[in-house]
Amino acid sequence: MAKKEFSFNQAVREIEKILRDIESGEMDVDKLSVEVRRASELIRQCQKKLRSTEEEINAIFKDLA
Amino acid sequence: MNEMLTLSELQLLIRDSLYLSLPDMYWVKAEITEIRENYNGHCYLELVEKNSGDTNVKARVRAVIWNNRYRFIKTYFENSAGESLKAGMKILVKVRIEYHEIYGLSLAINDIDPAFTIGEMAMKRQQILKKLEDEGVLNMNKEIEFPFIPQRIAIISSRSAAGYTDFMKHLSGNSNGYVFYSSLFEAPLQGSDTERGIISALERIAGHIENFDVVVIIRGGGSQTDLSWFDNYNIAYFITQFPVPVITGIGHEKDLSVTDIVAHRSLKTPTAVADFLVECMLNAENYIIEISNELTDRSLKIIEQTKEWMISAKMKLIPLARIMISGFREELSSTLVNMISTGKEYVHRAKLIPESQKGRLSSGMRSIINNSGSLISGFSQSTVKNSKNFILSRGKTLAGYENSLKILDPVNVLNRGYTITSMKGKIIKDSVELKEDDQIETRFRDGTIKSRVV
Repeated sequence: MAKKEFSFNQAVREIEKILRDIESGEMDVDKLSVEVRRASELIRQCQKKLRSTEEEINAIFKDLA
Repeated sequence: MNEMLTLSELQLLIRDSLYLSLPDMYWVKAEITEIRENYNGHCYLELVEKNSGDTNVKARVRAVIWNNRYRFIKTYFENSAGESLKAGMKILVKVRIEYHEIYGLSLAINDIDPAFTIGEMAMKRQQILKKLEDEGVLNMNKEIEFPFIPQRIAIISSRSAAGYTDFMKHLSGNSNGYVFYSSLFEAPLQGSDTERGIISALERIAGHIENFDVVVIIRGGGSQTDLSWFDNYNIAYFITQFPVPVITGIGHEKDLSVTDIVAHRSLKTPTAVADFLVECMLNAENYIIEISNELTDRSLKIIEQTKEWMISAKMKLIPLARIMISGFREELSSTLVNMISTGKEYVHRAKLIPESQKGRLSSGMRSIINNSGSLISGFSQSTVKNSKNFILSRGKTLAGYENSLKILDPVNVLNRGYTITSMKGKIIKDSVELKEDDQIETRFRDGTIKSRVV
């Protein structure tokens, strides 16, 4: 279960890597569009993670209480 | 000698001699092993002296603080030391020896020196810290990387504690609308059960550790300021070994307990802990926004650069191509003109040249052609600017060939007094080629005559 879980840390690391790759100046326009699409998807997921409740985690915490 | 005393007479005798021989008040240091307040406001204690280094009791005595003194001593001590009197605490007290015929010996405490206890507590704290340091574990919890978003929180507190309610209010009511998940692991946060309770809560959390980003230990502030329960080696050691960051908010303004010191972070109050967690989320979101802006800027810059590059390449490429094409065209046409005119002349003149010279001429022609060919390929590789030099040098080469052609011109040969003999347009070099009655033509400088061989 933990495998497929979205990790904020990992997402941020991946976005940072994409940014570094772009900054290195060795990215052509075709690759750029693929990477930017990936990064914006990660950013969207990060923002979602901060603000919307995940029922799965809620259920786990209910069991713990 | 047969005089007998009653028990009470003996006790009075003992009391009188004690008071006579020990009439003063004495400052005594001792450790509290038991303490309780009576319903009528008196405070009863048991004091001991232990052998240093072990727990064996070297001396033991009962003590009392009468209610008229206790009200003063209690307030004074708590205000000064930030702690209430409790078992395990070392104190320095001013005592008078009392002897009661029923209850026996006890010490009546008249005054207390909080500074002594503060010093003792600090020393104990230092000893614990030193031990943790010697074991190399003191900073282990601090060294854990703090999660980007401390969203799933294990709380060690007491449900009834005001601090817990405040904490939850600040956390779930955060104005940014961040989501938190929390689970309470109840434990006593004061009294002799503190150690066992907190360690047990940490153990329960450790059993579900994959679900938690952070542990908080919180306790309401207010009048309850006993920190010394947290100057505890076992609690501290457990925290240093804990796999996720531990944050404390156990409500003490002035001092840090050992628990605070080994924790990843210590804050003064439960609400401060909640605000800190919200701030972490805010920082994470700001970072995401920042990095996403950076990403957009960078990408736009790359696209812009690529566009500019394409435009400028297009602008450079077209005129450059035009210049090159027109350069080639000029070159080709002038080469053609030269070749044609030179060739025409050559062909024309060749008719007049003796057969022996023809080989040389045609090889010369081939060489011209070859030269021109290599010049053309040279042009195609060179810039337009260079092509002018090529044209010039090629012109010189052609002029050179023209000169050689002039020397070979048959007119010059005839001028030197030679004649050219031919038959049916074919130049005759050897006399054996001719027989009787052959009609030949002889060309002189100024004309041609026909004659017949005899």
